[in-house]
Amino acid sequence: MLTAVFFYLFAVLAIGSATMVIVARNPVHAVLFLILTFFNAAGLFILLGAEFLAMLLVIVYVGAVAVLFLFVVMMLDVDFAELRAGFINNAPIGLIVAGIVLIELVALFVTGAAGGLPASIPVPAPGVETLTNTEQIGRVLYTKYVYFFQAAGLVLLVAMIGAIVLTLRHRDGVKRQSIAAQNARTPATGLEVIKVPSGGSVFPASEGPR
Amino acid sequence: METLAAFAPALPEIILAAGAMVFLMLGVFSADNARTGVFIGWLTVLLMAGVAIMIGTGGAERVELFDGAFVVDAFSRFCKVLILGAAAVSLMLSFGYFERERIMKFEIPVLALLSTVGMFMMVSANDLISLYLGLELMSLALYVLAAVHRDSLRSSESGLKYFVLGALSSGMLLYGASLIYGFTGTTSFTALASTLQAGEAAQNLGLIVGLVFLLVGLAFKISAVPFHMWTPDVYEGAPTPVTAFFAGAPKVAAMALLLRVLHDAFPGMLFQWQQIIVFLSVASMLLGSFAAIGQTSIKRLMAFSSIANVGFILIGLAAGTQYGVSSVLIYLAIYVVMTLGSFAVVLAMRRANEMDETIGSLAGLSQTNLPLAVAFAALLFSLAGIPPLAGFFAKFYVLDAAIKAGLTPLAIIGVLASVVGAFYYLRLVKIMFFDAPGEAFTQAEPAVRWVFTLSALLVTFYVVYPAFLLDAAGTAARALVP
Amino acid sequence: MIIGLAHYLTLAACLFTLGILGIFLNRKNVIVILMSVELMLLAVNLNLVAFSAFLGNITGQIFALFILTVAAAEAAIGLAIIVVYYRNRGSIAVEDINMMKG
Repeated sequence: MLTAVFFYLFAVLAIGSATMVIVARNPVHAVLFLILTFFNAAGLFILLGAEFLAMLLVIVYVGAVAVLFLFVVMMLDVDFAELRAGFINNAPIGLIVAGIVLIELVALFVTGAAGGLPASIPVPAPGVETLTNTEQIGRVLYTKYVYFFQAAGLVLLVAMIGAIVLTLRHRDGVKRQSIAAQNARTPATGLEVIKVPSGGSVFPASEGPR
Repeated sequence: METLAAFAPALPEIILAAGAMVFLMLGVFSADNARTGVFIGWLTVLLMAGVAIMIGTGGAERVELFDGAFVVDAFSRFCKVLILGAAAVSLMLSFGYFERERIMKFEIPVLALLSTVGMFMMVSANDLISLYLGLELMSLALYVLAAVHRDSLRSSESGLKYFVLGALSSGMLLYGASLIYGFTGTTSFTALASTLQAGEAAQNLGLIVGLVFLLVGLAFKISAVPFHMWTPDVYEGAPTPVTAFFAGAPKVAAMALLLRVLHDAFPGMLFQWQQIIVFLSVASMLLGSFAAIGQTSIKRLMAFSSIANVGFILIGLAAGTQYGVSSVLIYLAIYVVMTLGSFAVVLAMRRANEMDETIGSLAGLSQTNLPLAVAFAALLFSLAGIPPLAGFFAKFYVLDAAIKAGLTPLAIIGVLASVVGAFYYLRLVKIMFFDAPGEAFTQAEPAVRWVFTLSALLVTFYVVYPAFLLDAAGTAARALVP
Repeated sequence: MIIGLAHYLTLAACLFTLGILGIFLNRKNVIVILMSVELMLLAVNLNLVAFSAFLGNITGQIFALFILTVAAAEAAIGLAIIVVYYRNRGSIAVEDINMMKG
């Protein structure tokens, strides 16, 4: 019973905040609603017994991805009111298409037409060794699924190279600290002894005559 | 899997991935200029050539690794050599262009290399998870490559478009994959195939919906109509050598993946997926052929040409037989040669430092640059499917496979579409040979000249010794469809 | 009252449809499109975790784990491309991207 209450709480909040993500006028609000959606999904994961993924969702998504979104939204100074103009024109056709897809999918799952599925989460037979969710994942992630693990590493490498190649710019004229250059300085390079002729004026060789 | 030697079948992937990391470090710690980029680019080409020789001369028996998630067989061998060839040639084409545009960075070959690793994973995928990871590894690198000319609005816009539609298609594909997993309880292709052997399981509605979503996601990647809308804009906006890269290797990989999924995982649902493939095929051929007629940009024209070619390739896939698979592989090999040759010609369309990619600029090319005009004419005749050029045989095999599989109406539509297609290819030939000449193009760099000359020779003289390709494709097809 | 698999699948279908709807409704605003894609992937993950729990098979959760990883990489690349586009154009309106143009 308590499970049902929590399921409906999380589900209603998830759908409500997901709706707000796509209709919110202010993109900062949209990101915040996205975070709320993820929190509720994490709650649902816990109900399903997937604690590890629930924590991952909160840490990786809320902690990193959503903050990245927030960062970009705030960095780009965009007039978002102007972007909403096309919203209404697309709304009717979009709603109709989405409604049809949704009704079909829901009908498929609810009527049991898809068939062949257990109605409740199977309870492990007594006597069988039960592992925590995290241990179950840990046992296979680096053994049976090591290939996927390595591939995911390459995907992240591509993301890193890509983000750097696209956005990093070396601006000229910006003063940067070079510790190696600082340490390599000797009195010979740091000091210039100039003989000033009487009555004349001189400039350091590095600056040249003005 | 106790010793390292057990991983030997995955050595090509390991070498390419390790090579990408070594080159990355090499680039980071060298001077930040175009010379480093070109140097690493040539190293990448050499590495690809070496790995291609290694795969081509290696064994072809079926080996499964990583608990069945990764499979090596004659089919993967054929596709991998083709992918490496296409990727290496399009990289060679790119150096001159990137240097002129002052965007030659060492990350470009590294990203191309990592993208190739992704394609290898796709070709060798034997599990829904490796399918997804390979596809994303390839696609993420391609999104970046499309936008790599970051000071050009068109390039970044094409990257954005490609990204948005690619992400949407990944979402569809994953939703399908999740349903397939849910209604069968497995993600392994081998296990899926044996589950579906029982006729009852294949009738499961949830599974069919999952398969449809999966096919929609893959149709985006191969740019089959009606999921093609990104193709012309991305082809036009991306830097030309990147477009050449897109048109070659990733198409082969995505098509190989489609073959692998349908024949390895869903042989029991042939009836269901055949209808979808036939629809995609007809729509792609017709739209590709008719929409190409009005184009003025040669890159857009090539985009529609590639859509039409995808339609033809899908004919062979729709046949669902061993002969169909081998005809698809032959078509892919010939298509890659024709496409890379055509893009080499497009790269040669340059006056001083200005690229001119309008069709009108080809006018009277035969009088200003006869070798280029003759080579392009040979490639266009081949694309139009005129005998005895290679393109004719490519089309012949897929149509023959369709007729033998009882899909005669599909074959008839294919013939009609190729007649329409011939019209716009031959219009280009007419413009090159019979219109008043404009200003001559600047002499292209050696790599570009080599590529269009060699590809024109290959399509012209394919008929002399077709046995090599036929045998290789036949062996590969036998590995996939027993 | 028992919460069965169908409940979770329905919820995931709702989220997935909302994601697709978001892409079509906000065709001008790329950042919201990206968030809609994240919603779609969340729906897929919910599907996988629910199936995994009801089938008593851990593979679904592993799949969801990798989808989370890749989705994070995808978001990073997508946002980088958006930043580049914004620098060139001074706006992120994608009206002229016009996704339905042949």
